[in-house]
Amino acid sequence: MNSHGADGPLPLEGVRVLEVGGGIAAAFAGHELAGFGAEVVRAELPVRVPLTRHEEVYLVAGKRRVEVDAAQLRALALEADIVVEDRRPGELAALGLAPADLRTAKPELVVVSMTPFGQDGPYAQFETTNIVSFAMGGIMSVTGSPYHPPLVTGGSQAQYLGGLNGAAAAVTAYLGRVLGGEGDWVDISLQECAVANMELYASGTAYGDQVQLRMGNQVRPVWSIYPCGDRWAGVFCLQRQIPALFEVVGDPELDDPRFIDPLRRLEHAEELTAKLYVFFAEHEPAEILELGARHHVPFGVALTPRDLLEVDGLAARDYFEDLATPEGPARVPGRPFPGLGWHQGDLHEAGADTDAVLADWLGAAAERRGR
Amino acid sequence: MGRLPLEGVRVADLTHFWAGPAATARLAELGAEVWKIESPSAWDNGRTLIHQPGAPTPWESSYWFEAWHHDKKSVSLDLAQPRGRELFLDLVQHCDVVIENFRADVLDKLGIGWDVLRAVKPSLIVVSMAAFGKEGPDAALVGFGPVVELMSGLVSMTGYGDGEPYRAGVAYGDPVAGMAAVTAISLALLRRHRTGEGAIIDLAQRETTAAMAGEAFVAASLEGAEPVHHGNRSPRFAPQGCYRARPSRTELGTTRDEQWLVVSCRDDADWQALAAVLERLDLADLDVDARRARHDELDGLIGAWVAARSAQGAMEALQAVGVPAGRVLDSGAVLDDPHLLGRGFWVHVPHPRMRRHKQFAPTWRMAEADLQLRRHAPLFGEHNAEVLGGVLGLSEDELAELTEAGIIADAPINPGVG
Repeated sequence: MNSHGADGPLPLEGVRVLEVGGGIAAAFAGHELAGFGAEVVRAELPVRVPLTRHEEVYLVAGKRRVEVDAAQLRALALEADIVVEDRRPGELAALGLAPADLRTAKPELVVVSMTPFGQDGPYAQFETTNIVSFAMGGIMSVTGSPYHPPLVTGGSQAQYLGGLNGAAAAVTAYLGRVLGGEGDWVDISLQECAVANMELYASGTAYGDQVQLRMGNQVRPVWSIYPCGDRWAGVFCLQRQIPALFEVVGDPELDDPRFIDPLRRLEHAEELTAKLYVFFAEHEPAEILELGARHHVPFGVALTPRDLLEVDGLAARDYFEDLATPEGPARVPGRPFPGLGWHQGDLHEAGADTDAVLADWLGAAAERRGR
Repeated sequence: MGRLPLEGVRVADLTHFWAGPAATARLAELGAEVWKIESPSAWDNGRTLIHQPGAPTPWESSYWFEAWHHDKKSVSLDLAQPRGRELFLDLVQHCDVVIENFRADVLDKLGIGWDVLRAVKPSLIVVSMAAFGKEGPDAALVGFGPVVELMSGLVSMTGYGDGEPYRAGVAYGDPVAGMAAVTAISLALLRRHRTGEGAIIDLAQRETTAAMAGEAFVAASLEGAEPVHHGNRSPRFAPQGCYRARPSRTELGTTRDEQWLVVSCRDDADWQALAAVLERLDLADLDVDARRARHDELDGLIGAWVAARSAQGAMEALQAVGVPAGRVLDSGAVLDDPHLLGRGFWVHVPHPRMRRHKQFAPTWRMAEADLQLRRHAPLFGEHNAEVLGGVLGLSEDELAELTEAGIIADAPINPGVG
């Protein structure tokens, strides 16, 4: 069970996590904690937008799933080391699980809350879906073509970014508790997680640059994607990589100051773009990648998830895990990084583990209720 | 206020540009002591990513560098010179973590590969974060965030429906890998606390990015599904789209022409509330299949309603009746957003070479640990004496000799490069 260059216990072995939520953010955070060895119990609560079946397979496998009442939920929370949750601000309190109260009862508890806009502020109760969070997170304003509306990216990136932060925060706050004795309550806003990653743009405008809107794929000829065989391929070069790119393209006309000098290159962008269109059209995607590796040129190909399931570079690194589902065998991304082990757990039915978890975690209390 | 979670943790940070610096910026916020170690001749070119005409020391006054290096210490050290390498390995003995995001072959070429580092200190945690991993069949491929995003599957999943895929407008693979590296380091510190053992983490940015869309791999493996581009529509929610609002005026009186609002109906209740706002109760009974079938028509109705309003006003009107709606906040609008301002997201840290400007606060609000930006990004080599003198015990004469030899410096030797 423990591979990828790591022997011995998984880093979160023996750590109990209660996942209270229903959205992608808490589920993704819980998914990472489970993979790294935590015992994750997912409480199934009513939600307005449940996970899709594909999301459920990826994000819920490896967790024990319980259906419990509010009193049991509170008891489970107090048995946990970490609670991850993405309920609307105030909902935990309504269930009797106000994070501050839980931490008064158990100061070493770590609670991580992931919500669209954080626990407070004027938009704290706003309604969202992924596209709303992505729009309010700023990245959408620079994504897409200038000739079309701003564009949301594939999947549910605004929500995954919240979960990515939530997992990191949960592990880090738990480490803080192990080293310092005290837990914490972490308030994570999906909006802030995205705005903090607006690359050059928010900081730039804050420093006096013009507002930058979406530029499409053709930002600059050497920072762009082009049709290539039955795919699209791209080149994303810094100035220091330009000589290698031009050598690979092999057009003698490129050996000219109008293309080599970065400022003059801007004036001749159309000419260079045309040459790169020809270059990419004349090569197959696999050739592009081979040339990039050989000459240290940052080339990429827009691979699809189905392509990636067949990529040697992922298979050789044991990236994917096999997962049995009632629909058949699925392959899912496993450890996000190697070196600390990973456990791919099974997919359980909702509520399947209620009795076992109540017995394991609450023991005597469950017996008193006659279970 | 309680202690910071990473107090007492020391990090030798060899990272450049964004993915690595994003990770170590978080570590610094969380209380780790981060030494940003750069060669005077091969320094982080992210320093001069922003063109700053007339700036006397542009390598230490850009908003980019400030955003990702506040609260770190700067040590200049030429790792390609034997004495520089030796001093680096001496420093490593005082560190818990070494992190780098060089091209996959660079660490070994510098003579400070994994084996060398682990021999110096077996309990060390080493994080490498090359685009495709330091080991494996694709290790020779090179690339930054946009290449990572292409090769991770995400770009293939985004588009308007005309066949052309789109990448995110930011180098998305970078900050995702950076946050994953934070998780990796905290996990490795936990394990080391329990077992005493160090770790080698060969993080591949493509892999951390692909993990952000695992459901697409479930669809591909179970059903052979290839991505379908929906533009801003959703396979689940209808109607959903991005609609142009009335131009707005800024405080300076200039017009901001492009204002957009997204609207997303999760279910019948959302649609009924939206239909009421649109004064089209005759359509309120449409179920999701009917709404999808008539999506173009509904887009026209929503578009006309939004076009007559400011994006902010339209958002507030729809949120007031519980319909998910949000402005497409641009790089200026995020700075003035009432909610971000109300949350205290924009802060300011004084910097000796920079104007006052809005900087984003730590994205984790911790009730006990007091996370905040405490100090500006370091000047080049600012902490050479503190670290090389204070920690390794080098004398002033020795530091002068290192400066003479070009092994340390308080400015880049070749500031025009990059």
